[in-house]
Amino acid sequence: MRRVGVFVCHCGINIAQTVDVKALADYAGTLPNVVIAKEYKYMCSDVGATLIKDSIKKHKLDAVVIASCSPRMHEHTFRRVAKDGGVNPYRVEIANIREQCSWAHTTKEAATEKAKALVRSAVGKARLLEPLEPSMIPVVPKALVIGGGIAGIQAALDLANDGFDITLVERQPSIGGHMAQLDKTFPTLDCSSCILTPKMMEVANHEKIELLTYAELQNVEGSIGNYTVTIKKKPRYVTLDKCTGCGDCAAACRLKDRVVSEFNEGLGKRSAAYMPFPQAVPLKYCIDDSTCLFLTKGKCGDEPACQKACAQGAIDFTQKEELVERKVGAIIVTTGYQLLDPGRLYEYGYTTSPDVITSLELERLISSSGPTKGEILRPSNQQKPKSVTFILCAGSRDETQCTWCCRIGCMSALKQVYLLKEKLGEDVEINLCYQDIRAYGKGYEEFYRKVRGLPTNLFRGRPSEVRDMKEYLKIDIFDTTTSKLFEIKTDLVVLIPALMPQADATAFARLLRLTLSGDGFFLEAHPKLRPVDTFVNGIFIAGCCQGPKDIQDTVSQASAAASRAATILTKKELEIDPLIAMVDEEACTGCGICVEVCPYEARTLNERTRIAEVNEALCAGCGACIAACPSNASIHKNFTKKQLLNMVDDMM
Amino acid sequence: MTTHMKYALYPGCLMPTEQYAYELSLRESLPVLQVQLVDVPEFSCCGEPMKSVNQLLSLYLAARNIALAEQQQLDLYAPCAMCHLALSECKHILDHNTAMRERINTLLSAENLTYTGSQQVVHTIDLLYDHIGIEKIKQQVKHPLKGWKLAVHYGCHAIRPKEIGRPDDSEHPLKIEAILRALGAEPVEDYPEKLDCCGAPLLANLPESALTKTGQKLQAIQHHGIQGLVDVCPWCHKMFDARQTKAGETIAAKLDVPVFYLTQLLGLAFGLPAEKLGLHLNQSPVEKLTVEGGA
Amino acid sequence: MTIVDLTSMGEPQTEQQREINARLVSLQNEISSYCYQCAKCTSGCEAHKLLELEPHKIVALLKRGLINELVNSDIIWTCMTCMKCRERCPQRVAPIEILFALKNMAVASGKQIPGKYTAMLQSILSLGLIQDIQQITTRMNTTVKRDELGLPPLSKPTDAQKFQAAVMKIATEKV
Repeated sequence: MRRVGVFVCHCGINIAQTVDVKALADYAGTLPNVVIAKEYKYMCSDVGATLIKDSIKKHKLDAVVIASCSPRMHEHTFRRVAKDGGVNPYRVEIANIREQCSWAHTTKEAATEKAKALVRSAVGKARLLEPLEPSMIPVVPKALVIGGGIAGIQAALDLANDGFDITLVERQPSIGGHMAQLDKTFPTLDCSSCILTPKMMEVANHEKIELLTYAELQNVEGSIGNYTVTIKKKPRYVTLDKCTGCGDCAAACRLKDRVVSEFNEGLGKRSAAYMPFPQAVPLKYCIDDSTCLFLTKGKCGDEPACQKACAQGAIDFTQKEELVERKVGAIIVTTGYQLLDPGRLYEYGYTTSPDVITSLELERLISSSGPTKGEILRPSNQQKPKSVTFILCAGSRDETQCTWCCRIGCMSALKQVYLLKEKLGEDVEINLCYQDIRAYGKGYEEFYRKVRGLPTNLFRGRPSEVRDMKEYLKIDIFDTTTSKLFEIKTDLVVLIPALMPQADATAFARLLRLTLSGDGFFLEAHPKLRPVDTFVNGIFIAGCCQGPKDIQDTVSQASAAASRAATILTKKELEIDPLIAMVDEEACTGCGICVEVCPYEARTLNERTRIAEVNEALCAGCGACIAACPSNASIHKNFTKKQLLNMVDDMM
Repeated sequence: MTTHMKYALYPGCLMPTEQYAYELSLRESLPVLQVQLVDVPEFSCCGEPMKSVNQLLSLYLAARNIALAEQQQLDLYAPCAMCHLALSECKHILDHNTAMRERINTLLSAENLTYTGSQQVVHTIDLLYDHIGIEKIKQQVKHPLKGWKLAVHYGCHAIRPKEIGRPDDSEHPLKIEAILRALGAEPVEDYPEKLDCCGAPLLANLPESALTKTGQKLQAIQHHGIQGLVDVCPWCHKMFDARQTKAGETIAAKLDVPVFYLTQLLGLAFGLPAEKLGLHLNQSPVEKLTVEGGA
Repeated sequence: MTIVDLTSMGEPQTEQQREINARLVSLQNEISSYCYQCAKCTSGCEAHKLLELEPHKIVALLKRGLINELVNSDIIWTCMTCMKCRERCPQRVAPIEILFALKNMAVASGKQIPGKYTAMLQSILSLGLIQDIQQITTRMNTTVKRDELGLPPLSKPTDAQKFQAAVMKIATEKV
């Protein structure tokens, strides 16, 4: 005869103000098999836990029902309490009388009646719960980091310095990401490459880091502690061991200065054989197969010019795409962001005028390694601008484009104003059209004050359009600080575009089974308490792939993700939740439907016995095979048909 | 022989009572493209001019006209941008708000009419570009408008607001330019004042402001060295063509920009006689192009 | 507790404010409350330079509930209906639609409205159209009318009384 204890939680007043907890506990005490029923203010507190443990001993309980908040919140807590008290943790059933009851209803009578039904049903299941034991799987003490921007670099270095083997995958020919494109960083005006390059070098030289550039994630199998990942290495047509980074190939390339440079945001030109920027890691060249004459047309003079020029014999046009497989225990995703195409706000003239540029393009103009060697020149005529106008929030906080704040626009614009004053002299006219300046970080407000002290025209308002008058650009701006309409004639317009998820974020999320938030960025498991976890155990996110943020926040988040991954990697083995599928071998007909429906590839058909099997390490307990099995042979442990029907019967 | 495309011609108020050139030219040039226009009796004002007075009345009037075309099972062709907006917006509202649809239908029942939403509304722009298509237009061109450097005025009501569905893009409309290229002309795709208003909605009450708008846009076109202006709305055309002299006086500038309805140019390129296209009714100096331009 | 505008001693009229917002929703527009005063509407307003219309201020006053001030103002009649404010608003607020609501309120309250509208309404009542056939002058200074150009008869309501009755009925109702 099963002995069940029921414990009703008040959750402060969250439950108690809508559910009559005393009446509920009294009622629970009258249910069959229930030998003790108690209520307490905070069942999840130490006192509550002691109350449960003491009751287990005193009343020799062998199953426990907790009437409280959602099992998402505290199921784990109460399982541990039951275990400490001497009851198998899987003989704990939670009746959610908060989210499903007190928070959903207003009248006390109705809420209490519903709470009684939920407790009745939970007791009905508790009577039939089986004791389960978790199985253990070994952990591969290695991690995969996807994306070699500052977030990926930081996460990889943190874990590598903890002693774990890391594979860092980057789809561009070099790591560095957007940070490598920046000239200086706000609010301290540190030179971006000066602080980034040492970290990139550390990655390159770290014995624990395997760097795979020009490579992309192709496939992921397995689960926490034991993932098998397949990485596609794109052919770069340059043998890494032989290339010395001398640049003879790029100099000889017949397309020299004819291919648009992505790194310079389209403002500069490169060769088809190229290194994206001088501090690239690895410091190796790469041949772009979308433009290279030999690769696109099959002919580049008598012999490919780069091949002829390379004294090391590093050019290898026979290279093919290559797939490599790695086993890892955890994955950190740091795939970053892209800028909104400002052409989507056609009225701002980005499509029609070369003198309307983005903040990232201006960054390349300011940078001494940029296309103008750090000179600020108007793209249309290569003259120094006498007037520069910034338009903030281009597509940000906009219901028709990106509804969110980009979180870096205000500060990056203020920083650029400061740098332009340095580069072009105090006399350059700077206009800045802003809506609110959001300077919320450490030292940001102080930097904003510093820029306010410079001779600069700040207009509070959004222009409606930018008109290309050929000799100049014309902007009408209604300034809400003076309540006047101003006409600005200016040489260069800098748009601060919204930050968006990467174009392939959705497809990438599907590959890793990640969830997207409404804005299209990757969703964290909890916005406050699990900010770098995802809903897939063992996969973590950091940086702008989770949402727009500045370098400071990105680096903090990357370290957090590394530390979260380390909690897995430091373990020799992991407990596997036993609430998964099993097979009734007598009933199984070997039809194989469960193998087809399993989204986790946890199901296989034993060819010899013709009976389906469950890989416990892979099974996520989703229940797809249970629903699909035509012969009732797939069973979800502790969610058996008998248990569930009993719940329904008792509820009704 | 291609099957005829058949539309109920919804003339509105301004075109059939004074902007005869638009009506003449579309009645002449569209049949060349196998468009059959059906005259439906009983139409009234589209309702757009009454929006400021009582928007329920304007919805009623628009729904009434659509319901009349629905009775004939014909899509409506509204050459006026204002009318096209009124009818399209009415459709948008009644197709999304069932309570409003029922209310309007109760009112319509007095004339034994019902709005069902079965028929579509087109304007000159999408009729030519999307329903007929550039290729068919090209096939009919006999006298290409070679060397005609033209600016296009789309008209605010033809392109906004985007979310109710308009004949062309609200910020970067290019369909008329494509049609003009098919006719052999050289349209200017972008000029800074392209999306500026003609001023018509203020003509009656604040004529000076209205004419200043008209004048400024024409002056800019002249300044850019563009030879002529093309429009597709009787209100805009009234401002740019019939009121051009007044607009010039208002801004103290000499304006002489030939202004055409798109359908007039269509007819000229198809080789139809100028008189049948109502070119003698244009008040602006159209002969600057029709004579010197050689068409 | 009350809020008073000390320059005009006006108090927020929350009922009319709710009425306008309900009307905006029924006509498939966004309510005014989302406006965050970026003034993109006023920066691009066709009527602003000539007539000082400030769409963002209209929305702000509506958000504050100062409806009387708006309904009694001549400025609401200066809108050119270009719809750029509605088209480009980053919060999908439509100042032009708010202006229509305010103008409708002014008419309903019996306020004097610009003559053009009275004349047009009269013409619609009697004819179904805003004006009757006009005699126009050609470029060669001859005059001409519709029928002389070979155009078919004007399409207009034939049972004028029935039509008039329907219009009169609606003229006293609101959206």
